[in-house]
Amino acid sequence: MDSYVAAAIHDAKNALNVLNTWLGEAKRDCPSSPALAQAQEVAGRVSAQLVELLTLYRAEQGTLRLAIEDHYIDELLADVMAELSPPPGAVPVQTDFSAAAGIGAWALDAYQVKFVLLDALRNALRFAAGRVRFAVAAEPGGGVRFMIADDGPGFPAEVLSGASHSMNDRSSGLGLSFARLIAERHTTPGGARGRVELKNDGGAVFSLILP
Amino acid sequence: MDLRSYSGLLIDDIPEMRSSVRIQLTDAGLEKCDTARNVKEAIDKLSANRYDLIVCDYNLGQGADGQQFLELVRRKQLLPLSTAFLMITGETGYEQVSTAAEFAPDDYLLKPFTSQTLHTRLDRILEKKEALRPIYKHMGERGDRKLALAACEQLLEEKSRYTLDILRMKGELLRTLGRNAEALALYEGVLAQRSTPWADVGRARAIAALGREDEAKEHLQRALEAYPNYLAAYDSLAGLLEKTDKLAAQQIVEQALKVAPSTQRQRRIGGLAMENKDFARAEEAFKRTVEKDRTGFFKSHDDYAGLAKSCAEQGKTAEALGAVKEMASHFQRTPELAARQAAVESQVHARVGNAEQAKAALERALAVMKDAELAPDAALEVAQACFAGGKDDDAKAIIRSVAEDNHEDDQVLARAQAVFATAGLGDEGTVFLEATRKRMIALNNDAVALAKGGQLDEAIAMLQEAADRLHNNAQVSINAALALLMRMQKNGLDADRLAQAQRYLEQARHANPEHPRLAEVEAFYARLAPAENRGS
Repeated sequence: MDSYVAAAIHDAKNALNVLNTWLGEAKRDCPSSPALAQAQEVAGRVSAQLVELLTLYRAEQGTLRLAIEDHYIDELLADVMAELSPPPGAVPVQTDFSAAAGIGAWALDAYQVKFVLLDALRNALRFAAGRVRFAVAAEPGGGVRFMIADDGPGFPAEVLSGASHSMNDRSSGLGLSFARLIAERHTTPGGARGRVELKNDGGAVFSLILP
Repeated sequence: MDLRSYSGLLIDDIPEMRSSVRIQLTDAGLEKCDTARNVKEAIDKLSANRYDLIVCDYNLGQGADGQQFLELVRRKQLLPLSTAFLMITGETGYEQVSTAAEFAPDDYLLKPFTSQTLHTRLDRILEKKEALRPIYKHMGERGDRKLALAACEQLLEEKSRYTLDILRMKGELLRTLGRNAEALALYEGVLAQRSTPWADVGRARAIAALGREDEAKEHLQRALEAYPNYLAAYDSLAGLLEKTDKLAAQQIVEQALKVAPSTQRQRRIGGLAMENKDFARAEEAFKRTVEKDRTGFFKSHDDYAGLAKSCAEQGKTAEALGAVKEMASHFQRTPELAARQAAVESQVHARVGNAEQAKAALERALAVMKDAELAPDAALEVAQACFAGGKDDDAKAIIRSVAEDNHEDDQVLARAQAVFATAGLGDEGTVFLEATRKRMIALNNDAVALAKGGQLDEAIAMLQEAADRLHNNAQVSINAALALLMRMQKNGLDADRLAQAQRYLEQARHANPEHPRLAEVEAFYARLAPAENRGS
C-alpha cells in the first residue's frame, strides 16, 4: 500500500461495495423503487470516482504503472455495456461495434480503459436529449478509436479549448483528467501515444484513441 | 455454454468465500466442482484428478498467493495448458496478477462480481480453450512440438477468432525449436500491424538467440518504458545483463520486484547481490524467501544456502549455522539435502576459520556424493565447499562432470562459472568451462562423422560410453539412440539394440523433453520399431 491516502481510498471503496450489497438486498424487497435504483447508480459512480482519484494520485506519486496486455475488443465492450446498467428512464445507448471483430485483440489496460469508457458513457447519458451513440473503429494509420456521442448541448467552449472542466459546471473535472492520463500512459516502444479528442457535432463527441 | 459436462476445482482459504463462490459456480451451471482450502490440498487434488477449470483466489493465506501456485503447478506439469485457470482477486492483487510474466492466468475476475459475470467469463475462457485444444494436445510433457506447430498453422489457415493467441504460441514454439529467424519474422509481422508487449519481448528474445544481444537489450529497454508492468521484459533483460554486467542486472530485478514481489525474484536478487558482494542485500532477500512462504511449497535449498552464506560473509556465524540447520526442517530428507547442508556448513566454517569443522563437514558432503547421483545445484555446492577447503582438484573434477553432463544448459554453466568466480578463479573457470563445452561438441560431431562415414560401430561405442556416464546430457543420449537406429536401418533390427535405443531416448526425454532434436529421432525410432515395442 503506497500511503494513508491510498489506504483511505481503498477503505471507502470497500464501504461502498458493502453499501451496494445492502442496496441490492433492499431492491429485492422492493423491486420497483426508483429511489433505490438511483441510489445504486450514485454508489457506482462514487466508487468509480474513487478508483480514478487513486489512479491520479498514484500518477502524481510516480507509482502508477499500467498493465497493458491483449484484450479482445468485443469482449471489453460487452463488459462495459454489462457494467453500465443505466438507471430506469435513461436514454438508450445505440452501439456500433461492427469493427470490433476485424480489430480482434488490442493491447491495453482493460481495467483502466473500462473506467474511462464508463465515465464517458455516464456523462453522455446525463446530458443527452434523446440518444447516446457508442462506437469503435480502427484508426487509419494504426490505433483503435472508441467514440461516445450524445445529442445534448455539447462541451462548453473552455473544455474544448483544453480545460478539464466547465466554469459553470459543478463537475470537478476528475473524469476528463483521468481519461487524459490513461490515454497518455498508453504508449508504444515505437513512440506512439494515446489521446482524448473532444468535439461538438450535434452534441458532445468524446473519443479515446489508443495506439 | 452448458457447463454441466465440465469439472472444476475451487481454491480459497476462507470458508465463507469458498461457499459463496461455490454457489455462484453452481448458478453458472458448473455442478461438478471440488474445493481445496490451501495449496497442499489443491496439489493433492490436481495430482489425483483432471479438471477442465481451476478457479483460484489470489490470496491463499500462509504467505502463498494464487500466482505462485499457478507457476508451481504449471512448472511441475500438474496443470496441463488445456485446463483453464481463472484468478479471483481484490484490487490490490489484481495489479500483481495482471502483470504475470511467464505463466498468466487465462482471465482474472475482480471482487465483487455477480453470477452472471462469472458465467460470461467462464464461457469465454472455456470456449477459447476448446478452440485451441488441437495445439495444447501436443504441448504436454510427452508432446511433440512440431505437431503443435502444425496445429497452429492449421488453425491460422482456418482464420480462427483467436489468431493473435495462436501467433503468440507459434512464436514460442518456433523459439523452443531453435527456429529463431522464423520466430523473428513472425514477431515483426505482428508488430507491423499493432504494438503489443508479447510480440515486442518475443522479438527481443529471438534477436538475442540469434546472437545480437546488444540489439535485444535496446529493444527490451524501450519495451520497459512503454510497458512498465510487463515482467517478461524485466526477466529477459536481466537474463541478458547477467552475462556482462551483474550490477545492472541486479538493478533491473530490483525494479521488477517493485512491480511484483515474487519469491523467485527475491531469490534472483539474493543470488545477484551475492555475486556483487552486496551481502546485506542478499541476506535480506533470502530472508524474505524463507520467511514469506509458510507452506514450504515455494522455497528451495538455494534460499537457505544463500541466507547462510550471506550471513557468514558478514561474520554472523550463529545466524549462518542456524540457516543451515533450518534447511533440514523444511524439506524432504534426500541425498541432495544432506550434501547441500554439509557443503554449506563446511563453507560457513571455512569462512570464519574453523578449519577442523569445515573439513569434517566437507567429508560428510563428499561421502553423500559418492553414493548418490546429485542434481547440478547440489553437486556444484559440494564443489564450492571443496574450493573453500583447499581441495581444488576435487572441485574441478566435480565441475567437469557437471559441465559435461549439462553442456547445452547455459544456466548450469553460469552457475559453474560462479563457483569458480567465488573461489577467485574466474578466468581459469572461463577457460575450463569453454574447453569442456568444446570437448562435448567435438565428441558429438566426431561420432556423427564416424556414423556418416559408415563406421557405425565405432560411433556407437563412443556415444554409448558417454551416454552411460552422462545421464543428464540429452544431446549425447539422442545421438547414441540415433547411431543405434542407423545401424539397425542398415543391418536389420535386433531386440537388444532396439531396447538400448529406446532407453537412450527415455533418458534424453527425462533430461530435456524440449530438446529440439528429440522429436525427430523419436519419430525415426517409431518408424523402425515393430508395433509391439512402441507406445511406452
